[in-house]
Amino acid sequence: MAKKALFVFRNSLFKIPLLLVLLSFLTTSCFKDVDFEQAQDIQLTPDLEVDLLYYKIDNTDFLDSETNAFTSVIRDTVRLEFLDDDYIQDGLMFAEFRFKHENKFPYLIKSSIRFLSENDRNQFAVNYDIPPGSIDSPSVVDTTYVVERGDIGKVRRSLKMLVELEIIGDGKDMEGELDFSSKGLFKFEF
Amino acid sequence: MRKLAFIIFLSISVFSFGQNRPLLYNVDDLPQSLLQNPGARIDFTRHIGIPFFSQIHLSAGSTGVTAYDIFSNEDSNVNQRVRNVMNSITAGDFFSVNEQIEILSLGWKMGNRGYFSTGIYQEMDIFAYFPKDPALLAFEGNADNINQDFKFSDVSFTGEILTVYHAGFNYKVDRKLTVGGRFKLYSGIFNAESTNNKGVFRTLETPGGPNFYRHEVLGLDVTVNTSGYASLKNEEGMTVDEAVAELLSRSFFGQNVGLGVDLGFNYRVTDQFSINASIQDLGLMFHQKDIENYTYFGSFQTNGLEPLFPELDENEAAIPYWDVFEERLDRNLNEETTTNAYNTWRPLKFNASFEFGTGKSILPCDYLISKRPRFMNLFGMLISGVNRPKGPTYGVTAYWDRKVNDNLRFRLAYGVDEYTITKLGAMVSSRFENFNIYLAANDIIGYTNLAKANSASLQLGLQFIFKDL
Repeated sequence: MAKKALFVFRNSLFKIPLLLVLLSFLTTSCFKDVDFEQAQDIQLTPDLEVDLLYYKIDNTDFLDSETNAFTSVIRDTVRLEFLDDDYIQDGLMFAEFRFKHENKFPYLIKSSIRFLSENDRNQFAVNYDIPPGSIDSPSVVDTTYVVERGDIGKVRRSLKMLVELEIIGDGKDMEGELDFSSKGLFKFEF
Repeated sequence: MRKLAFIIFLSISVFSFGQNRPLLYNVDDLPQSLLQNPGARIDFTRHIGIPFFSQIHLSAGSTGVTAYDIFSNEDSNVNQRVRNVMNSITAGDFFSVNEQIEILSLGWKMGNRGYFSTGIYQEMDIFAYFPKDPALLAFEGNADNINQDFKFSDVSFTGEILTVYHAGFNYKVDRKLTVGGRFKLYSGIFNAESTNNKGVFRTLETPGGPNFYRHEVLGLDVTVNTSGYASLKNEEGMTVDEAVAELLSRSFFGQNVGLGVDLGFNYRVTDQFSINASIQDLGLMFHQKDIENYTYFGSFQTNGLEPLFPELDENEAAIPYWDVFEERLDRNLNEETTTNAYNTWRPLKFNASFEFGTGKSILPCDYLISKRPRFMNLFGMLISGVNRPKGPTYGVTAYWDRKVNDNLRFRLAYGVDEYTITKLGAMVSSRFENFNIYLAANDIIGYTNLAKANSASLQLGLQFIFKDL
């Protein structure tokens, strides 16, 4: 009996180191050459291209529907509710707006694009003249407006986009149309 | 989001273990080989595990990224490294975590040819493909990806926690063939799955169109099924301890149930050469309680908003273009929450191997004992895999199994799978009288620095094994 116990003990002494070597190797394994603190620095930086407003107007838009009298100024306001979303308020760092007019009217048109807050306070505006064009040879004005980090609050406070057009002229011979397209490039950091 | 990313990558790293258990397959003196192949040849007559310690198995991996790829302490910018990973990783890359703990394990010889084994184990299995396109959209946006489809099908994951009650029978048909089967009752604790999703989001340039772009969501059909989640979600103020206690209380058929089988065989072609194969978890889970499913479907496209320049008085309100837009959006892109029952297949595992033995062991010199010759060295090759939502994952392992004596055995293995081509593994199993302890670790190179490991796995266990002659 004692001999058997001694045999088992000797055998165990032989096996235990093998297990210990493997176990200690596993337990001492670790993460090397890494710094998990960098997780704090990871940023999501999506750049989003978003269509804004578009329209195509002709001479009837400048005529009173009841009297058919010429109206030189027309305007409309569109709410852009997404500008009030959390991701804009928290993460917007840069905005680049692009406005493109294609004028086939034989009149100069003054365009005013204004971004307004909820209580209609002007945040920023983009105003320019659109030279007269023709059906065969439209005049094109392609404008880019950049709002960078220091002024980005103006975009964050904006909630409405007001577009206003004024035809300079008497409105006779109003054949033609005016096309407008617009988009925004919004850069975020989260 | 940053915390979430950190937790994900830390989890991947800490649990960077592989998935199959090639180091325990065909180990004829460990009862765990019967869980891999119920028709395996075995070399013991009774076993009983130490509850909760007879098998602790952890395995996980990631095919496309390691912790080092992101969190390297080199000087370069961490966000640049994230971008590099985003560019190199594909929608076919995946992350997986698998954990099993044997709660109860016992078995005994029945008659001259049979062996009955039974037990209970708890399992967690999480498998997620990298959602490349949604992640790209979140990290980079659409600006540099105009005219490119962002596919919702890239979102594909399964996750489950369950308790498995099983009973199996191993039967030696003759001196060559051994077959076995195991019947399983699954008690589902938690399940979440989202597979076979469809649809794309894209931003198209429209040179002749009304605006610069057209934004489209086409054929959206995304479903997330959950069971065992709704009741947890509704328990406001539940602490982690309470949530864990609630989950554990579901282990005993309180929730959803399922059925499954394992089948396997071993065929000794010659004394030295044998082939064997098995399938595990050919089974279904029936999710009928505590269900909450989320479905998103529809199509939508827009060029932006079009002002109509109406003739308005000073006091008249502008046309609510945005509200109209949102109504159209809600009409076309739908969201539904349902409580419909659903079924899920368990991840089917399959194994096939051949083994060649050399160096006959010395058998006891007793004419009353009739045993087939055993070999001190076993060389084998194993192909194993698991069925996953986008198709099976495979691994091939070659091993040398050495029986030093009747009480000590080790195995060295080299494997190739979708995680790594340098998977070195080692297993040691030892008996002290009838007490057995085993320890197996795969992807040992990875253990030298877990940060650079794509995968690794670990199994260990304590049990009593009896080899009555």
